[in-house]
Parts: sequence; structure tokens; C-alpha cells
Amino acid sequence: MNASAPVHSPRPKARWSRKERRYFWLGLAFASPWIVGFLAFTVYPFFGSLYLSLTEYDLFSTPRWVGLQNYENILQDDRFYTSLGNTFFMAFVSVPITLAASLLIAVVLNFKARGINYYRTIFYLPSVIPIVASALLWTWMLNPDFGLVNMALRAFGLPDPAWLLDPRYTKPSLILMSLWGSGAGALIFLAALQGVPKQYYEAAQVDGAGAWHRFWKITLPALSPIILFQLIMGLIGAFQIFTESYILAGGKADGGSLGGPEQSLLFYAVNLYQEAFVFLKMGYASALAWILFIIVLLMTLLLLKTSGRWVYYGGE
Amino acid sequence: MKKKTWFGLWCLLLSIMVAGCSGGSGSTAEPGKTSGEEPDQPAAADAVELSFWYGWTGPEAEALEKLIAKWNEAHPEIQVKGLSQSDYQKQLTAITGGNPPDVASQFGQNVVPWGLRGAMMPLDDYIAKDGVDLDDFVPAALSTSQHEGATYAIPTAMHVSMLFYNKDILKEAGYDGPPETLGELKEYIQALSIVEDGGRLSRLGLWPGMDAYTFSYAYGGSFYDEAAKQVTPDHEGIQSAIKLSKEIWDQYGSDNLDRFSSGLGQYMSAQNPFFSGKYAMTVDGEWLPTFIKQFAPDLNYGIAPIPYDENHPERKNPGNVTTSVFYIPKGAKHPDASWAFIKWMTEPEQMAEFTAAIGNLPTRTSAFASPLYENVPGFKEFLDYSASENLKSFPATSFTNEYMTEFSAQVDAILRGTVSIEEGLANVKEKIQPLVK
Repeated sequence: MNASAPVHSPRPKARWSRKERRYFWLGLAFASPWIVGFLAFTVYPFFGSLYLSLTEYDLFSTPRWVGLQNYENILQDDRFYTSLGNTFFMAFVSVPITLAASLLIAVVLNFKARGINYYRTIFYLPSVIPIVASALLWTWMLNPDFGLVNMALRAFGLPDPAWLLDPRYTKPSLILMSLWGSGAGALIFLAALQGVPKQYYEAAQVDGAGAWHRFWKITLPALSPIILFQLIMGLIGAFQIFTESYILAGGKADGGSLGGPEQSLLFYAVNLYQEAFVFLKMGYASALAWILFIIVLLMTLLLLKTSGRWVYYGGE
Repeated sequence: MKKKTWFGLWCLLLSIMVAGCSGGSGSTAEPGKTSGEEPDQPAAADAVELSFWYGWTGPEAEALEKLIAKWNEAHPEIQVKGLSQSDYQKQLTAITGGNPPDVASQFGQNVVPWGLRGAMMPLDDYIAKDGVDLDDFVPAALSTSQHEGATYAIPTAMHVSMLFYNKDILKEAGYDGPPETLGELKEYIQALSIVEDGGRLSRLGLWPGMDAYTFSYAYGGSFYDEAAKQVTPDHEGIQSAIKLSKEIWDQYGSDNLDRFSSGLGQYMSAQNPFFSGKYAMTVDGEWLPTFIKQFAPDLNYGIAPIPYDENHPERKNPGNVTTSVFYIPKGAKHPDASWAFIKWMTEPEQMAEFTAAIGNLPTRTSAFASPLYENVPGFKEFLDYSASENLKSFPATSFTNEYMTEFSAQVDAILRGTVSIEEGLANVKEKIQPLVK
């Protein structure tokens, strides 16, 4: 709409000129594939699921209105709390760890060393691999007896847990996997790092600031908007984590055993999937989806609200 | 005029996009295509074309395609096009979208949940009209497709588990034959397991997390009281079965068992723990002898009935039956033709040809005698066992999947000691009973 703004006069005219009208329709026509897609595939399902969450719906019969019954049932459902707990763990433990790792990698990759471009590529490579493939790969890496991870641990005389089979270690296994993929986050940090003006560092060095101080007082504040962005994206991603659990916890076509040992990998999205497509409780699953939406929304708002205290925008 | 041109262009663009999408899904490789379009085939001009989605892939799909080709040759008026579609969710979306396949395969445990919700067409009128002899079917297999007198699918193949034992290991321990009773089984497991210093296991008599359904039936357990409309996960027989598992489990402990099981090889390989002698015994299905022939041809093993409760000899040869079925989805365009195909596919001759090729058991007793099974390893024992009167299957209800999921989750928690047997089973009941309608 910005492009046509100059054509508009500040005062609303009674009628557009012929040309203006033509431009309006033309613009709309060009935007229409997106508009139609947005209405049909985003807006309609969005409100559709809100309606369905207030019904009992099994896909085949017509939805039956039940009011807030689904939400009440969810609050009394053990599986809801188990899945919420598992998901929170990933959001609040895995995301910060991965973020810190990405930042560390980015700082290291920012050095002007020989062949640095090769290192950058190597660190980014894992992000190119599809989750399904990397999850299958990691089942081998984490094999307690033959896996590389435990071989390394044993070489140092460290305990070698039964990673994916022991309910205490299943989530740490996933964290390990996500660390391996932290090159994607590092790339974004790296781009931001290179945008930090050199004068700051030079000035700080003249004033006698050490490397640690330069990092703490210059690099981090300069990166803070990017950290906020990655934190929010990471949290949203963590709340939707599904594939790793589905692959690692032996997801079968018949939906037999989702969730892994002692339901330790029963994440919110896995539970939602099971309720919807195995138990055919679409209304209940829609309600679960709305609760997830609200949680993510609140979390994001909270972060944005508090971000004023720690995020530094260069322009201000 | 110009506006119209733009509008037309836009419509064109949209229709290309839509056509592109549907073209994408339509062009998926169809193994059936070659057989269905051979020029010498007398496909009638006004032939009905049936789409048939099945979950089998690879060599199993090829076996099915052979049968489809046979049908197409004999029935020019009804041409079937098979599509290997192992993503069963697609069936859900297709039925909901009003454009389902004409015939589809499914797991037995989904039949009644889907059937009661109206996704599967009841077949009783067809069965009555064509006089299909339902008494010919293994009762436990048929019951996976039935609920309160309605039949929603025809079981075409079934699975049941038996006890496999390593003859060499048993002999070494001084046993001439397999355990016959549950009491003996416990003894055998003790004697056959090897615990090294520090508690590390190097061999297990039998993995303690064995199939809870099979052993529940061995103890006379029942999961549902139809008359009282009560779920009964706390049934005495089920408790006994879980107690047996729990006793063996606790003897070795979760840590050692996790460590031991994590070091075990892939199921479909020569390193399968039973093939490599890490398990002295295992409870497994009729497909295992075929795998043994393929991966461990030198294994000296025997197949025996599931041990029975010595206090109840009338419960000899217990077992848990699961099935694969064919059904007509709601909204199928040519149900009469679909039925004709399903009926033909589940006739003893075709059933024997298909199940023998994929190494599954037939669901019709009249197919048991087919010479086709002679070359399938282990089928002599399994076909005999399939005639046992003590075979059961999980009660088919609208909440079967929820029930089984909750049950296995709680059994896992019980074995790992998070909850007691009583608590765990009470949890199942508390969660599932409200679903009974």
C-alpha cells in the first residue's frame, strides 16, 4: 500500500479517479494469491480451531457444542501436565544452553584466522541436515555401547548413561542434539557481530579495557536485539518440538508408543498429535492448541515487555 | 475490459497453482500402474475404477499387487488401482475431505474407533447378502472388527505370539524342553540369565517387559466387562501378569536392564538378541522364523506355546491376536464394487496367497490347510496355535487406542517403580472409565 500512498490525498475524496481505482485493483490482484492463501490457510483454520476447541469433534461426525468442557478436561489430564513439564524443560533449559553455545561459536568464528570460511561452513553444515535424518544419526551416536558419545566418555573414565532409554537422560540427549545444530544460530550472531562498529572496540582498548570487558560491555549489548530475537524464536520452536521425539521414541504408524520411556519425551505437540490423530479427539486437540498459543503469546509478550531493560538498540 | 483481463489472468494463475498441487500428489509412484495398464488387458470401456490404499510397502506391496493384477484380469468391469500408502493419516484426511479411496487397509485396533465414528461403512448387509461365513474366521481376529453386532471391516491377516527358545542354551542349563507352565517359566528365566560381577547382565532368560496382553490372557485376565460396562485393568489376571514381569524386572533393576537392552542389536539383523544368544527365550510373532532363516540360519531354536497357569490347565495355549483389515471408507463412490473386491481378497485362496507371501497368519480357518504355507518357516506351529480356543484380542471399543496407550504407559511406570501395581492400574481405570459410553 505504501507505493500508492503518494497518490492518495490526505483528505478522503468522495471518489477515486479512474487511474487510482485501476491501481488499487491491480495491486490487489497482484497481492491476491497471498491474500487468498492467508484467508484460506491461516485465518480460517485459526478461527476454525477456536470454534472446534469448544466442541466434541471426531473428524467424521458433525462437531457437537460442549462449551468449555474440553478446557476443563485438559486441566484434569495427567498427560497434559506431563507434556507441559517436558516442554518447559526444553524451553527453559535447552534454549538458553543452545543460545549460549551459538554465541560462543559465533565469537570464535569471528576471529580472522586462516581458512575461517571453512570452519564457518563446517559449523553451519549440521543445520542443513533434515531433523529426521539427524535424529536417526544421533540414535547411533548415543547408542550406550557402541555410540561415539559413550566411547568418548568412557575414554575419560566418565559415566556412560543409557541415553535414549533411561528416562533421566532422554531430554539431555535432545539438548545434545540441538547443540550440534547450533551453527544456524551462530550464523545469525556472526552476521550481527560483524555489524558492531570497530570504533567501539578501539576506543575501549585505548581506555584499557580487557577482552572480557570488551565482550561484556560492547559485544553483548550490541548483540542484545539479536539475542532477543533468537530467544523468542528458540522458545517458540521449543514449544512445538515434535519430530525428534516422534523419531527417537519409536513413533509407529499405529501411534503405538509415543512419548518414550516413562513419557519423558511426551512433549506438548506430541500429546496434541496423539489426541488428534490417534484418539480422534479433534475438539480436545484444538483446545490444547489454543492453550499452547496462549502460553507462547504470554511468554513472548513478557519477553518483549522486559526486554527494554536489557536490549540495547543502537539508534536510541 | 482491462480489468477483466487481469481478473482472467489471476484466475488462470490460481488454477495453475491448484492443478500443480493436485498433479503433485497424483503422480506418486504407483506400483499397480504397470499391471493395470497392460494393453492386452480387457478393461471394459465403462469399467469402474477403484482406488485401493494399503499400508504395506516393498516386497509385501509387490505380493499384494500380484493379487490385484489377478483380480483386474478376471474382472474387466472393476479395475483396481493399488497405492502403497503407509501414512495412515492420509486415510483420515481423505475420508474427512470427502474424497476417500474405495478400499483401504487398516490396523485392527483402529477399526471400531473409526467405525463407530462413521468413517467405515458397516459391511453386515453385504455379508448377509453374499452369505460370507463369518464362523470360518478366528473369533479373536473377527472380534477386532466388530462392535455390538456391527462388522466394520474384514480381517485379512493376523498376528499372534508364541514362545521361542534357544535349544542350545536350554540344553546347556540342563533343560530338555521349553517351560510349559508360568511357574516353570519363572524358574527358567532365573536359571538362564547370567549376571556378571557388578550386576551387569550378559544374558537374559526372557526380557521382563514382555507383552503384557499375552500374559494377561495367560492368567485369564480380561480388560473389559461388557455386561457391567466397566473397564477392568485391575482384573486379577492382569495383575498377575504384571506381577510376573515386575518380579523379574526388580531382580535385575532398571539400570542394568536399560544398559543391557541398549547394547542389544537391531531387531532385523543377525544381532537380534534372540539370534545372538543374549536372550535365551523370547515371546514373538509368526514373522520371526522367517527373519531367523534370513539372518541366523544356524540358530537351533524351538517354538512352543505360551506357558499356561498351572492352576488352570483349561487356559492352555493362550494368545493375543492383532489383525490387519480391509474396509470401505465412508463416502466411497462404488461401495458394491469395493465390497466385491474385499470379498474376493478375503476368500481363503487369495488370503492364503497374500498371507503366505508376507508371512502373516490367515484369519480364516479354512485357509490354514493351504499348501502355500508349507514353505513358510515356523508356520506349522503357528497355524496349529491359531486354532487354539484361548486366543483373545483386546476389546474393540470406541476408546481402544486410549486404553492401550494408557495401559502401556502405566505398565512402564509400574515396572520402573514410579507407581505400585495397584496405583498404576487404578490410574488406568480412572482415566478410561469415563470414556465408556
